[in-house]
Amino acid sequence: ISACGREPVSSKTQGFCLPSSPADGGASVACSALSHDSVIATSGSLNLSTTITRKSLTQTLIETEERKSTTAGKFGRYGGKFVPETLMLCLSQLEAEFKVVLHDDKFQAELATALKDYVGRETPLYLAQRITNYYKNSKGEGPEIYLKREDLNHGGAHKMNNAIAQAMLAKRIGRKSIVAATGAGQHGVATAAACAKLALECTIFMGRMDMERQSSNVTLMNLLGAEVRSVDGSFKDATSEAIRHWVNNLDSSYHLAGAPVGPHPCPTMVREFQSVIGKETRKQAMEKWGGKPDVLVACVGSGSNALGLFHEFVRDEDVRLIGVEAAGVGLESGKHSATLATGEVGVYHGAMSYLLQDEEGQIIGPHSIAVGLEYPGVSPELSFLKDVGRAEFYSVTDQEAIDAYRRVSRLEGIIPAMEASHALAFLEKLCPTLPDGTRVVVSCSGRGDKDAAMVLEHI
Amino acid sequence: MAFSSTNPTCRTATTSLPSKPHHLTTQLIPSRLPVNSVTVKTPSLISCAVTSHSMPLIEKDEEAVVHLRPDSFGRFGKFGGKYVPETLMYALTELESAFHALAGDHEFQKELDGILKDYVGRETPLYFAERLSEHYKRPNGEGPNIYLKREDLNHTGAHKINNAVAQALLAKRLGKKRIIAETGAGQHGVATATVCARFGLDCIIYMGAQDMERQSLNVFRMRLLGAEVSMEIIPLFLGIVGSLRVVSSILRIKQHGDIQVRAVHSGTATLKDATSEAIRDWVTNVETTHYILGSVAGPHPYPMMVREFHAVIGKETRKQALEKWGGKPDVLVACVGGGSNAMGLFHEFVDDKDVRLIGVEAAGFGLDSGKHAATLTKGEVGVLHGAMSYLLQDDDGQITEPHSISAGLDYPGVGPEHSFLKDLGRAEYYSITDEEALEGYYQILFDSVFSSIKRSVVLLYAAFKRLSRLEGIIPALETSHALAYLEKLCPTLPNGTNLVLNCSGRGDKDVHTAIKHLQV
Repeated sequence: ISACGREPVSSKTQGFCLPSSPADGGASVACSALSHDSVIATSGSLNLSTTITRKSLTQTLIETEERKSTTAGKFGRYGGKFVPETLMLCLSQLEAEFKVVLHDDKFQAELATALKDYVGRETPLYLAQRITNYYKNSKGEGPEIYLKREDLNHGGAHKMNNAIAQAMLAKRIGRKSIVAATGAGQHGVATAAACAKLALECTIFMGRMDMERQSSNVTLMNLLGAEVRSVDGSFKDATSEAIRHWVNNLDSSYHLAGAPVGPHPCPTMVREFQSVIGKETRKQAMEKWGGKPDVLVACVGSGSNALGLFHEFVRDEDVRLIGVEAAGVGLESGKHSATLATGEVGVYHGAMSYLLQDEEGQIIGPHSIAVGLEYPGVSPELSFLKDVGRAEFYSVTDQEAIDAYRRVSRLEGIIPAMEASHALAFLEKLCPTLPDGTRVVVSCSGRGDKDAAMVLEHI
Repeated sequence: MAFSSTNPTCRTATTSLPSKPHHLTTQLIPSRLPVNSVTVKTPSLISCAVTSHSMPLIEKDEEAVVHLRPDSFGRFGKFGGKYVPETLMYALTELESAFHALAGDHEFQKELDGILKDYVGRETPLYFAERLSEHYKRPNGEGPNIYLKREDLNHTGAHKINNAVAQALLAKRLGKKRIIAETGAGQHGVATATVCARFGLDCIIYMGAQDMERQSLNVFRMRLLGAEVSMEIIPLFLGIVGSLRVVSSILRIKQHGDIQVRAVHSGTATLKDATSEAIRDWVTNVETTHYILGSVAGPHPYPMMVREFHAVIGKETRKQALEKWGGKPDVLVACVGGGSNAMGLFHEFVDDKDVRLIGVEAAGFGLDSGKHAATLTKGEVGVLHGAMSYLLQDDDGQITEPHSISAGLDYPGVGPEHSFLKDLGRAEYYSITDEEALEGYYQILFDSVFSSIKRSVVLLYAAFKRLSRLEGIIPALETSHALAYLEKLCPTLPNGTNLVLNCSGRGDKDVHTAIKHLQV
């Protein structure tokens, strides 16, 4: 049951579009024509060497979407505000405030200083020479692999970009207390740190199972002064609890979303604050090789780091966008988190998007060794990009991710987060298909110290 | 960032150096010297070819003091030098020549700068700690402005990597394929293992067994970067000429993988023992091996080299201070174990007399308890690990076991340059005592009962928690020593003093130790 208490819309329309609401006009009807094989990520046929086709139609759709996302919070038919009445006013206020700060020079300057001096941006675009060599074929050809080093951020992941910005926003609108839900704990740590810095009270909801698996992050949150409340279950349940808490405390508390899911304006806000990743990448790519990246690869749990990297390049048709989800124990086993690969469209936590649901529309508990990827839903914007064929989504198993974790540690001396390891693991399948000299930027979304003990147990 | 060689090649007209032979045989045993036994006469005629930055003379009033840091013999005044066995002399000379050659090599500089930028993540921010500054404001609203130099944001989480990266590049230039290193907190070990993974070099890290226990996260990280550990205890009797200390047992590691971590059980099984073990290894394997020393200690040219590789910290700080407030910092504060992060911050400003330099050591259980690591406060001059410096020794010249809750400061010696700066009066060195610990205890705002906690570590955890709660930055326990000193320092500083504190590392590695002692 989604947080709004309504039955999620159960639809078996993967690859097709539902008739849209009148406000959308006729644009979404064209969706059905665009779902083509290369985008459907099953473990079977993968056509990795296709590039984006049907440019002009996709471009139109994306432009339409961008117009709409800032108004109704819709990305095609995805997104929206499926929430109880009590939240509607709050969301509108938040949206208004968000629009104001986007254009407020003083806020932007303060945010830029915080990102620079506190978070440690800009993060480097690092040529991973040894990984590049590792993927060279026998003729010495292969792509060039660059890592966008979000692991060097304060807090150890990209989550801080969004947390500090939203905490500043919350302070500006006069909220004294922040509430957030966290999976792997990285968003929790980032939020706790930002709240400490801005003198805000902080409550973090975390699933009991997750608290055990990422206990080091729980300790960090406590040290930073946050109250960590355990919730039966995992991230999805923590999110539900956080939203319930928010509905009950609308005037005093601020719900700091870490993931670009949930009702409008949350997905748009999180994306905007994370888009600094892509903006820096464009600039650094220009400095380093005088061009754009050819391929962008990022792991996808709910989609924050992926959107952060992709958003800047969505309109650049020649830049390929690849998201990598968690296939857990395997897609057939049913124990995975590959929402875009095997999910169906429904409403969850206030937004319409792909999600893992059973025949009766009940949410299926996801699984992944990477706690941060364990979410049965996904960003509505990514669902849209998948449907229009702008982005491709694949998945990678737990074991492949562990292998990548160890491989990158040994080759580059960088210990990537288990989440980021999924993106890095996908290079195994991707690189052999790429022409020589292709420039691939992989989002190294976090550092893997938190996963060290677990990986060593596995070995 | 370029590092400047401040060692001009000089021909001195007169030199007078002590040539007491017993120094050469006691590289691991300190000798207790009468205070004025070592003298260096100022050369009366000098012709110098300065290789890069020229060093202005430090104005001095009374007796002649050597102003070269270090001079061509590797001395800072009477401190420093090369008290090593014959076998190592050539390696050290070779290292020094290579270092000077690379100082002028643009290709090397460019490569190093690129790695520092893209791999390590420099430059690190100079962050205005607003809430911390507020905390130290007096009732009339006056107080210093506290800035943190964010070395905790470096790749691997501490300043140690600045030096590790540069030395690894240097080792490759020298054609060495095997790297050894010692480590206390594990940060230097992780940094070394990291760069060895990055550059594809074989690597052996020596770590005290006691340190391995208290810094297990770092041991995990080293293992992930390539270390395999299996256990076989082989007791080994080691006799050193003229020494009474005999037994050391080493955990033998089976040789898998490129990176090994060797646990050292001799002595207190901490940093000094790991250093001794690393030096023994180097003596045995000097042709094939480069020793990446982690701090500004050891025989010349290490104190100078490690300082130069960390000097980027101070250089960036100067630039950032100019950008932020159009001037220089008024006070620099850093924790001191071996002294690398402190030297890295201070070096740029040593010749700026209006910048105050403050080093903070670990007082452990208290200076009079005998269980501390406050070398510059309580130590006496002697030779340890190849250099003459202050060190903690008893009446027989035996090393006193140091103690500090933070593994990275748990060293009975200190870099010779710090000893020099202290004697010169250029830098001030303090440590944390019990009374201050109690004061700090009552200042903790959020907390519950400290049940079995030692009084002296209370202040430390207070500082550790304070930065976490006020700024959302969890500092390393080593850094927390410097932060704790702010309690004493800030009330004495005039309004608007710009203070830069070197936040030398992040505290994720100390979280488990902290929760044992704190009710979080």
